[in-house]
Amino acid sequence: MRSLPTGQYIPGHSLLHQLDARVKILCFFILMAAVIGASSLWGYALVLAVLALLILFSRLPLRCAVAPVRRISWFLLVILLMNALFFGGEDVLASWGIFRLSYGGIKQGFRVVTNVVLILILGNLLTMTTLPTQVTAALESLGKPLKFIGVPTEEVAMILSVALQFIPILMEEAELIKMAQTARGARFESRKLSERAASFLPLVVPIFISAFRRAEELSLAMEARGYRNAKNRTKREKEPLAASDYSALTVCAFICLLQFFLLP
Amino acid sequence: MTKMSSVKLSIITAICIGLCVVLPMAFHAIPNGGILFSPMHIPVLLCGLICGWSYGLLCGLAGPLLSTLITGMPPVAYLPPMMVELAAYGLVCGVMIKLVRTKKLYADLYISLMVALLAGRIVAGIARALIFAPGSYTLAAWTTSYFVMTWPGIILQLVIVPAVVAALMKAKLIPEWYPAQD
Repeated sequence: MRSLPTGQYIPGHSLLHQLDARVKILCFFILMAAVIGASSLWGYALVLAVLALLILFSRLPLRCAVAPVRRISWFLLVILLMNALFFGGEDVLASWGIFRLSYGGIKQGFRVVTNVVLILILGNLLTMTTLPTQVTAALESLGKPLKFIGVPTEEVAMILSVALQFIPILMEEAELIKMAQTARGARFESRKLSERAASFLPLVVPIFISAFRRAEELSLAMEARGYRNAKNRTKREKEPLAASDYSALTVCAFICLLQFFLLP
Repeated sequence: MTKMSSVKLSIITAICIGLCVVLPMAFHAIPNGGILFSPMHIPVLLCGLICGWSYGLLCGLAGPLLSTLITGMPPVAYLPPMMVELAAYGLVCGVMIKLVRTKKLYADLYISLMVALLAGRIVAGIARALIFAPGSYTLAAWTTSYFVMTWPGIILQLVIVPAVVAALMKAKLIPEWYPAQD
């Protein structure tokens, strides 16, 4: 548990690392639209080529970039089978009771799995090249229009940054509690579902008690120092976007337009 | 119920969001713990119950998002439906606990929890059927993924959440809802 799984930030100086987090998030959504909009082989070839270039530009090992796909490969197989067997349609290849294997279902299954894999790798590239704190700051910045409908974006950003800072502490705490409960005979590895479920209670309740104790201490300390709300806090001026950021946005928008209007 | 300051509510929400990232990691040490017991739901439900609907909603939206950013789980492709589901849990839990007042702590908690767990699943199913997988999402798939496969998680949440609320009240970390009872 101490080593974070795939998707975590990997420091670097690549082109992708240097792009502004706001731009990376916007580009991610634009490219995600391009993936969802792909409806032909040419469309998928385009997004695959873009993805290959992004992995190249990120200077990350291919194995790291595709690691989350390997982790959920069984899950992807289930999606493929569920689509292939339950999609229905006229072109049935074989049927067994409620299961109907159809050509349309197989095609739909492959399409869904490909979309999931491509979006998964795109998201992984975003998180591996951007610090979580940069992502929260970028989300605060991108969420500014929400202020007009009454969403307190500053408070949300404060909550997110406190959450981020607490994660390593909570992880350590959870690890300690798990070790302590194992020493007291908790059977986390039991094959019986009921024993496994019963082992959760002595793990979860102390984690919450300890976490809420920390919340109590921090809120008292903040209030004692005069903290009232996030609205009046000052912050470092955000750096303007660089030429490379505008270029990345333009290229992504062009790819999306190509996908929706020019490719068959 | 004694009111907590907005700073404390914000910090509790932050802690619950942090636990949305940490609890699934702790549970993954237990074989199939993440899939069977849906540990990310517990902090969201608690946040809605303790802090109210707006904080519960934020916890439901931000918890899975931050977990994806930091740990890569849930995968990005499954993030939007999961955010919708958890946001509905946090929101409905917060609304229900304001509306339900039976003068009995556990009755309030169980009614709010059961309504929230059902409403969240219905909202998530509708979102999948209309937005995330239009045309390919069936009632059978919804029943299987939200009830058949997750029943151990539902039972565990119904056991753990009231137990944690009671433990937090006993430890005086949150105000008691019916102080005269004790």
